[in-house]
Amino acid sequence: MRIVVAEDLYLLRDGMVRLLEAYGHQVVATATTGPETLDALLSRRPDVAVVDVRMPPTQSDEGLRAALDARRRLPGLPILILSQHVEQLYARELLADGAGGIGYFLKESVFDADQFIDALERVAGGGTAMDPAVIAKLLSSGSSNRRLERLTEREHDVLGLMAEGLSNQAIGQRLFLSESAISKYTTSIFGKLGITDDGNNNRRVLAVLTYLNKP
Amino acid sequence: MRQLVSWVASAAVGFVRACVVVLVSMLVPAVWAAAAGLWIWWWGGNPWAGTAPLLWAGIGTLALSRPVCRMVRSLVAKWTGTVIPAGYRQSAPVVRMSTGYWWNGYSYERTSRDARQDQRMRLWWSDPATWRDLRFAVIAPFTTGVIAAVPPAGAVAAVVGLSHPAASMRLIGVLGVAVAIGAAPYAWRPVGPVAVRFLRPSPAMALADRVDELTAQRADTTVAQAAEIRRIERDLHDGAQARLVALGMSLATVERLMETDPNRAKALLREARSGAATSLTELRDLVRGISPPVLTERGLVDAVRALALDSPLEAAVSADLGLRLDPPIESALYFGVAELLTNAAKHARATRARISIFGGEGPGIVVDVEDDGGGGAGMRAGGGLDGLRRRLAVFDGTLEITSPAGGPTHVRMVVPCESL
Repeated sequence: MRIVVAEDLYLLRDGMVRLLEAYGHQVVATATTGPETLDALLSRRPDVAVVDVRMPPTQSDEGLRAALDARRRLPGLPILILSQHVEQLYARELLADGAGGIGYFLKESVFDADQFIDALERVAGGGTAMDPAVIAKLLSSGSSNRRLERLTEREHDVLGLMAEGLSNQAIGQRLFLSESAISKYTTSIFGKLGITDDGNNNRRVLAVLTYLNKP
Repeated sequence: MRQLVSWVASAAVGFVRACVVVLVSMLVPAVWAAAAGLWIWWWGGNPWAGTAPLLWAGIGTLALSRPVCRMVRSLVAKWTGTVIPAGYRQSAPVVRMSTGYWWNGYSYERTSRDARQDQRMRLWWSDPATWRDLRFAVIAPFTTGVIAAVPPAGAVAAVVGLSHPAASMRLIGVLGVAVAIGAAPYAWRPVGPVAVRFLRPSPAMALADRVDELTAQRADTTVAQAAEIRRIERDLHDGAQARLVALGMSLATVERLMETDPNRAKALLREARSGAATSLTELRDLVRGISPPVLTERGLVDAVRALALDSPLEAAVSADLGLRLDPPIESALYFGVAELLTNAAKHARATRARISIFGGEGPGIVVDVEDDGGGGAGMRAGGGLDGLRRRLAVFDGTLEITSPAGGPTHVRMVVPCESL
């Protein structure tokens, strides 16, 4: 894959480039500031970009804004946001356009390189990948609490993994269950929450996240 | 009809109030009148006969001025809602020294009673409020006292005049009734402006109070800051630092085990990785406690939105705040909202909360937090709300809590404009 890496700290940028190249991907551009990031995203049109939230010149949410800006101009441009902290607020902003191709992770998710690359590929393919920490917050927030009361504990777990962006097969592997058992759970969850499932994984994740994001 | 009733009511209330004002403001003149009366009574060609009564009148005036002013202040507060700060100097604590003597801030005394008495006298004598009170006690009878005396004087004229058969006296009686009723709703009112003008603390007194307040705040802030820095040091020392040492040790062991026992080396590496992840989580929590990243990145309103989203309550945020505030104020208000939401969820068992942030003009910036919980929240010395009040006080901000038992709770934080 052709990848753009936007990260202002040299150590982390260098580490990320090495990791991606070790997995056989090509880093076509790196950026260290917000404007540079926007420029690289628009001119290079990468298969996927890895973007840090906080960057110069303002040291605020430059990276996030560059990503949102680029996606407004190139809808669905796959971007994975990396940050030292995750906020539901940012997750909602990223998911708001409903176009998919979005990932949002804590920086330490890179520690499990296989899973990280897996998530990156999912995003590149137009899917959605969310850090478990984001999903945990979504599931436990005030408005979700009440609506998810009807789910069993197991269904709760499956819903969480589904929201992270995993396929039934991947969920089955995580929970040591068969794929068919998982699809039974998902049918039951969708029934209880009133979401329609058309079998397309990406659309399914978006539907779940939209449901959880409802105020 | 209704208008008439309300006018009669206000006349009746005004009459009573005018009488009270006359009573209070005429206390000092009454003492002087009594002294003058005694002097005339004892007059027998001896002009020195007046010395004793005048001395007594002087002492009586000094002693009465403070109670009279206290009464006027409380009457004005009760009737008009205008609170006039008293501005009396506070006494320092009387402490026993190792010598057995008592120190009251001015002198050593043999007993605690003497020390207190001496302190009271000195404080009374050196307090500018004493002289201000004395001035007011003299001014009051000639201003507010005279005006307030109109309705009672009218009433007296009415009683005397109407009980007399002569036509001219009856006319005076009728006039008296008219004056008493007509002046009653208004005659007591000058007491407010006069008291505000002459009883408020002088600029010097206000400054002295302000210096005391700021000194106390500075001490508070210094102590709080030192405690915070110690907490951060301890967290880093026992958390991240210790974990990094453990990580280094694991890696050193792995280096050695790599060739001899690759399986154990792998297990150690996994352990090291999860250790690193844990220390990152700890550091993130620590950072959130010092300065939440979302506050730095987005400012107060979005940070509070993020807080509301993470809260176990269903919290709605409405905001009307154009400008970015100074970071210390943003931080104080943010942690204030965080604390109030935690309280609402934990202590009041609320399920919903409403947060509104508005301002920039007028009173300054106002942050309201309402919940539907059980109420009963109150300020306890050293408690969370007390801490919040102190953090706001640094910016001259205030904290108002309305929380009847049974709920709901409404808390308002206000930081005045000048500090923005």
